[in-house]
Amino acid sequence: MEWFEALALLLGTIMLLMAVGMPIALAFLAANIIGAWVFMGGERGITQLLNNGLGSLTKYALMPIPLFLLMGEIFFHTGLGGRMFTAIDKLLGRLPGRLSYVTVLGGTAFSTLSGSSMGSTALLGSLMVPEMSRRGYKSHMSIGPILGTGGLAIIIPPSALAVLLATLAQIDVAALLLAGVIPGLVLAGFYIATIWIQTQIDPTAAPAYEVERLSFAKKIGLLLREVVPMVSVMIIIIVLMIQGFVTPSEAAAFGALGVLVLAAVFRCLTWEAMKKSVIGALRVTLMAYLIVFGSATFSQLLAFSGASRGLVSWATSFDLAPLAMLMVMFAVLLLLGMFMEQISIMLLTVPIFFPLAQTLGFDPIWFALIMLLSLEISFTTPPFGLLLFVMKGVSPPETTMREIYTSAFPYIFCSLFLVILLIVFPQIALWLPAL
Amino acid sequence: MAGISGLTLVWIMVSVIASVLMRNFGLQPFAWLFTSAEYGLLYMTMLGAPWLVREKGHVHIELLTSALSEGPRQLLSRAVALACVVVCAILAWKGIELVLTNLERGDFDTRAYYYPRWLLSITFPLSFGLMAVEFSRFVFGSELMHSGEAGIHE
Amino acid sequence: EETISAVHAFPETLIYTKSFLSFVDKVNAKGAGVIQIDVRGGPEAIGMFQQPDAVRDGIVDMVYTPGSFYGGALPEKDAMVSSNLTAVETRKNGGTALIDQIHQEKMGLKYLGWFDSGVCYNLWTREQPTFDAAGNLEVNGLKLRGNNVYNAFFTNYLGAQVIDLPTGEVYSALQRGVVDATGWTQIGLIDLKWNEFLNYRIEPCFFSTDLGVIVNNEKWNSLSDEAKKILQDVAIQHEQDSVKALRAKRDDDFAALDAAGMKVVSLEGTAKANYLAAAREKTLERMKEVMSGQPGGTGNYDRLVELFYDLDAAK
Ligand code: NA
Ligand code: NA
Repeated sequence: MEWFEALALLLGTIMLLMAVGMPIALAFLAANIIGAWVFMGGERGITQLLNNGLGSLTKYALMPIPLFLLMGEIFFHTGLGGRMFTAIDKLLGRLPGRLSYVTVLGGTAFSTLSGSSMGSTALLGSLMVPEMSRRGYKSHMSIGPILGTGGLAIIIPPSALAVLLATLAQIDVAALLLAGVIPGLVLAGFYIATIWIQTQIDPTAAPAYEVERLSFAKKIGLLLREVVPMVSVMIIIIVLMIQGFVTPSEAAAFGALGVLVLAAVFRCLTWEAMKKSVIGALRVTLMAYLIVFGSATFSQLLAFSGASRGLVSWATSFDLAPLAMLMVMFAVLLLLGMFMEQISIMLLTVPIFFPLAQTLGFDPIWFALIMLLSLEISFTTPPFGLLLFVMKGVSPPETTMREIYTSAFPYIFCSLFLVILLIVFPQIALWLPAL
Repeated sequence: MAGISGLTLVWIMVSVIASVLMRNFGLQPFAWLFTSAEYGLLYMTMLGAPWLVREKGHVHIELLTSALSEGPRQLLSRAVALACVVVCAILAWKGIELVLTNLERGDFDTRAYYYPRWLLSITFPLSFGLMAVEFSRFVFGSELMHSGEAGIHE
Repeated sequence: EETISAVHAFPETLIYTKSFLSFVDKVNAKGAGVIQIDVRGGPEAIGMFQQPDAVRDGIVDMVYTPGSFYGGALPEKDAMVSSNLTAVETRKNGGTALIDQIHQEKMGLKYLGWFDSGVCYNLWTREQPTFDAAGNLEVNGLKLRGNNVYNAFFTNYLGAQVIDLPTGEVYSALQRGVVDATGWTQIGLIDLKWNEFLNYRIEPCFFSTDLGVIVNNEKWNSLSDEAKKILQDVAIQHEQDSVKALRAKRDDDFAALDAAGMKVVSLEGTAKANYLAAAREKTLERMKEVMSGQPGGTGNYDRLVELFYDLDAAK
């Protein structure tokens, strides 16, 4: 079978099954059964599929997601979240869309410590979305910024994916991590601008309810009582990580512990809240992990059948100008990113793209950053960006998938704009590592 | 089983905290804390997945189902649920074969310890078998999996 | 022309994968019109730890992987892990033939060749290692990263509770001080950039790499005699070539590490002998224990030990 036939079979099956309304995880499993049958020699291929699932789920790297979710759910169900956001509302006065800005700022800060996009989306989503929708924020004002900052986690150091990319491509790890700092901050700036534009276009998207004016002393009191404790939990975790006390994967467990302690101190820790929190965290985790179970093997089938390698070699076989070639590689990464898991994409494309980038005269650090950006974008690209499903899980039940897709678009556009900026002004990335 | 799944989540948190504390107080953390957390992820996912089917918690997209009128929509929804039953049944059946193979070959998962592989793969027939049962309720039962409400819907 | 499909356990950029790919090139050149190897990819095509089962079940025809990735099914791989010989000697003395026979019996696999042998492992640490009065390495206070290759030695002799981390996470773990010591082969440290954090290499080195090519037996038996001969001949040639190539690479790496300030600390005398003996004996104990629980029992144990370890060379 030619690579494009394999590609058409695998992608066609999954698209069709999703369109008729099969649950995403089951659609992946069904496509895998068909793919394994065709490419892995019939029945025995399905056994392989189960073995793969076993391997892809028992990975330490997956640990932070349920724990960050647990942290967010405890925060919400104990009422700590409600208290903190009421306080922030009062402190920020009448700024339209204030909680959206808080999300971007908090999310950017959090991304600097978390190397995992899924983890930070899970945490921010479960922390912010329930409260924001209770306060009448339209979904694109709550979901959008979280999807955006969730993706920041892989550009702003520390980032596990950046370290892996640097080792695979044999480039300087520290330089790549540094190169991500300024573009990450620029991107966060774009997000803030996006929120401002959105509140200008549609003032009702973020509720402009009246907030009582407070004296300065009262504001300080509120800040100390309601905001500082929770923020300290986050800061303590950051410090623990910087000190090497915990790894990013382990930080999540201490975050959950911190919120538990806080809830106990504020006397709002009940069995009922605990039970609801575990159930809430479980719902999203199970949904996301069964998709991981299916999509990890789907990635492998794309690689094993030769479909993705065929696509990569075909696309890079044309003799084009460097800029056009860059566009081609970027497009291939985005396309693969819609259906494949990040690490597989890197394993597959690095050996082909980096030598090519070198012959085209690209700076490898700069090229690696563009690659990370494309992976970040693909994490939130419909239809399969995994962050979109995590978001669906933490959003109120009435939120539709379409709302989540449309919320993601402005932020995807921000990332694309950053890529253009990086092409025009490579110094945005290269200035810091060169110091 | 959803209860076990929830307890596993709590255990993962406890084991991570315990091993970090041991490490930082100069003790060598038990390697089984780490390994049990990794295996815990599998047990949690597989044991909890059937419960999530009943709760309609597995996200899906309503495109075609919302465009159809009542009759065909019912038919399609039940057909999709049936397809899910078939997928789960195939995986449950291959899961049993895998468990038997693991037992016959005496397979071990080799991490910090040698752990019998069938203790992991046994979750497949259990989980997919029960998922098949849960999905079949949407084939034959009164309730439908799809709401059919306009737009792309969960 | 016959074709066999292949996957490799490690990413394409790793030195060991490059070695395997050069073997593939040699086969494809010599086997034009007779036999070709079609490489489907690395861990992105089939998960690293699922590859041994995949070749066993005939999903793929050939796999290049450390024996340690299927140590649960074939504990005899520890004979190679604890070996102080290279594939050149064990090919000559019949050791490789015995390993091949065990692969056929226990897993239905043809063991084609032991590549990249003659490379051993060191312990690498961030801080200067300390020794007790008798000159033994002190492991207390070391945050030691392990995996299923070393654990019998690290845990049962050195008394360490290892922190089990996948290779990809070791860089950040070193950076944050989660671990401050790890075992690793003599080569490859620079490629992984761990030398940014590790400053000491502890001699002597122990163990050997156990990377080999395994082929599904049914597929192997279906090949023409001519194809079999080409594959086997090229594999035997590559066993020799890869020893030379990797030894040269080791010398280059060591020189580069020396130049960058890597310090070498060595155990001496009895402490050294005990350390080396323990690395071997603890690993062989594990092998015997797992073997005894399997069909066939420990029947091959003595012969394996004899063929894969040269007591004279160790002195
Ligand atoms: Na980060
Ligand atoms: Na994706």
